[in-house]
Amino acid sequence: MAEPVITSPHAESKRPFLTEQRRSRITAYTFISPFFILFSIFGLYPIFFTFYLSFFKWDALNPMKFVGFKNYDLVTSDPTFWISFSNTLIMGLMGTVPQVMLALLLAVLLHSGMTKFKKTFRILYFMPNITSIVAVTLVFSTLFGNNGMINWMLNGLGLDSVAFNSGWWGVKIAISTMVMWRWTGYNAIIFLSGLQSIPMDLYESARIDGANRRQQLFSITLPLLKPFIIFVSLQSTIGALQLFTEPYVFLGQAGTGSTRQEGITMVTYLYSEAFRNGFFGTAAATAVMLFLVTILFSILNMLISRGTGGDTGGKKA
Amino acid sequence: MKTGKNLALALASVMLVGSLAACGGNNAENNANKDNTGNNAKGTNAPATEAATAEPAEKVELSFWTLGNVNYEELANEYTKEHPNVTIKIQNTGDQTAHHNNLTTALSAGSGAPDIFQLEIGFMERFISAQDKFYNLNDLGAKDIQANYLDWKWKQASSIDGSFQLGLPTDIGPTVVYYRTDLAEAAGLPSDPEGFSAAIDTWDKFAAVAKAYKDKTGKYFSDLTDLTYNALRDQSADEIYFSKADGKFIGDTNPQVKKAYDFTVKGIQEGWISNYLLWSPEWGQGMSDGSFAVVMGPAWMAGNIKSNAPDSAGKWKIAQLPEGAGNWGGSFITLPKEGKHPKEAYDFIQWMVNKDNQLESFKTKGLMPSIPALYEDPAFVDFKDDFFGGQQTAVEFGKAANRVKPVYYGPLHDQTDTFFKNALKNVIEKKADPAKEWDDAVKQAKTLAERS
Repeated sequence: MAEPVITSPHAESKRPFLTEQRRSRITAYTFISPFFILFSIFGLYPIFFTFYLSFFKWDALNPMKFVGFKNYDLVTSDPTFWISFSNTLIMGLMGTVPQVMLALLLAVLLHSGMTKFKKTFRILYFMPNITSIVAVTLVFSTLFGNNGMINWMLNGLGLDSVAFNSGWWGVKIAISTMVMWRWTGYNAIIFLSGLQSIPMDLYESARIDGANRRQQLFSITLPLLKPFIIFVSLQSTIGALQLFTEPYVFLGQAGTGSTRQEGITMVTYLYSEAFRNGFFGTAAATAVMLFLVTILFSILNMLISRGTGGDTGGKKA
Repeated sequence: MKTGKNLALALASVMLVGSLAACGGNNAENNANKDNTGNNAKGTNAPATEAATAEPAEKVELSFWTLGNVNYEELANEYTKEHPNVTIKIQNTGDQTAHHNNLTTALSAGSGAPDIFQLEIGFMERFISAQDKFYNLNDLGAKDIQANYLDWKWKQASSIDGSFQLGLPTDIGPTVVYYRTDLAEAAGLPSDPEGFSAAIDTWDKFAAVAKAYKDKTGKYFSDLTDLTYNALRDQSADEIYFSKADGKFIGDTNPQVKKAYDFTVKGIQEGWISNYLLWSPEWGQGMSDGSFAVVMGPAWMAGNIKSNAPDSAGKWKIAQLPEGAGNWGGSFITLPKEGKHPKEAYDFIQWMVNKDNQLESFKTKGLMPSIPALYEDPAFVDFKDDFFGGQQTAVEFGKAANRVKPVYYGPLHDQTDTFFKNALKNVIEKKADPAKEWDDAVKQAKTLAERS
């Protein structure tokens, strides 16, 4: 508060402290404060504590010991960490790229007016997203088991079984399938709301100009959907980097939560580092690295969308 | 897509629940099959327990976190009936990782820990070094009852010099062979426990029998790579992956680890181990329909076999493992320092793990007692289990328990073990080269060990 410095004891401030304007401001801040208070306790403080912790050796029970950058050293020199990094990227690509395309296709189909039962489809799209991931993973585990349904079907087609529990690609295919199953419908709904925001008269005038369906799709629908596409791909990218539950439950069938190299992701690595091995320092260092990677990818995402003329940079589309 | 956030939320809610949960631990249930004549001190012959039944002067409430399928709630109810000034609130968790992580969280936060905590042996090393966070039970009189319990079991919860005692022993997990008598008979093997044990009393003989069984019937002999490996691994003397003296990784030089690995690889290559996964539905199904003849596991595995394959009741029997027995699992009852009533809590736990009550736990929940005096006690020995063809199961478990050698695990045992298990899975599922997989597992274990 910019109170004037009181020089003589007789000087009094002319105005009362609580002016009308200040009072309404305080009221406003009070009303929005719960979020900020909770966020700083449960969000901000842990974030900063993680940074701080990444320079210490700590098992959560004994005193913390300062070790400087040693945790970062240990993590970056651990081949398993780099495997988890590349796994995360590979599964991210496998689970996201086809998924966004499929979601777009589903949304366009649903929007096209050729489909009946729109409401039902919308609910069906959303169902996978609200089922518990653990339950979903358990169901998929039986499908992808060594002697599960998928292998049974492959054998029926005269093909060899695939080791979905331990094969380098098998594991990734199984996990990406679960991710796609969960998120395709969700993204389709977002695209659908984007499609509904495009004014119909654009299509009408395009039809008068003699544009066919394909031209309409590429010249009107996709360009105007751009903000939605950017939003979905950014969300999917961040989500893909945080992949945890599916690989953890799917590969942890011996009740331990697995860190098998074929399916270890950065978050599984972090989790087992902290809660299985009790190395909270290296776990924190891993979290910081994950944070940096996420920032990097978000920036890349922004640059790409700007490069393609998306309206994220404050430019008029 | 917000798993990270969800995890944080889950952890936060666990903490909240941990501090708010009200548990129904004091519903006065009538335990009809017990006489309420204060028979506490009868089972133990130590003078310290005579004083243990003294009534606290004012009302005391104790919180108690239990793990898994145990009868400690019933025992607590019985105790509080005899000690009206004591109430015990029980909170049970099924997931052992979550159970121990809750305690880690509470201890590092400095609040929220229970007065009494059931600690599983697999997590012992995580807490045994944090002696400032627990009461030393030796200060409360544990020394006086030490002689009642198995020596190796007692030492699992002691500091190296024995001055600090973290917990009192509950049950143990001595390893045995569960086998199908009908399948043994069909393959021309002896089906009585004595004969079966004798037929496989060295690992070489076991392998020969297994191979002959496979050749004759075309079916698997042993159920899983994990359990086969464990059976040999747990027979290691003194230490497995880590040196007791300095905590260094020794898994690559310990002959017993290599023996366990090579033996399992042999089983894979000769085709008498199945490729099912531990705890998977197919594994349970296999017990029912006789896909394999033996399951090697600890005493508490009997419960899993019963629930996985109820239809096969009467077809199973228990025999001894070749060359010795190991121990897998079992718990200890500890007193975290945050508790305000160490004396009252200690009085309760030393009563809860006494001879009579461990026998009760065995009868109701199949928990193998850690009190050698019971192994000759008719009340324990004469217990016949219909599922195992009326066999006196306690006798076999007791035999195995007497063969167990104490072993040091080290804090990274669990994760290190996973590396070797994964190597074996790669050998069986991906036909990987066993030598290369071994080298990879050793490399991963060493990388992990560098951090401690």
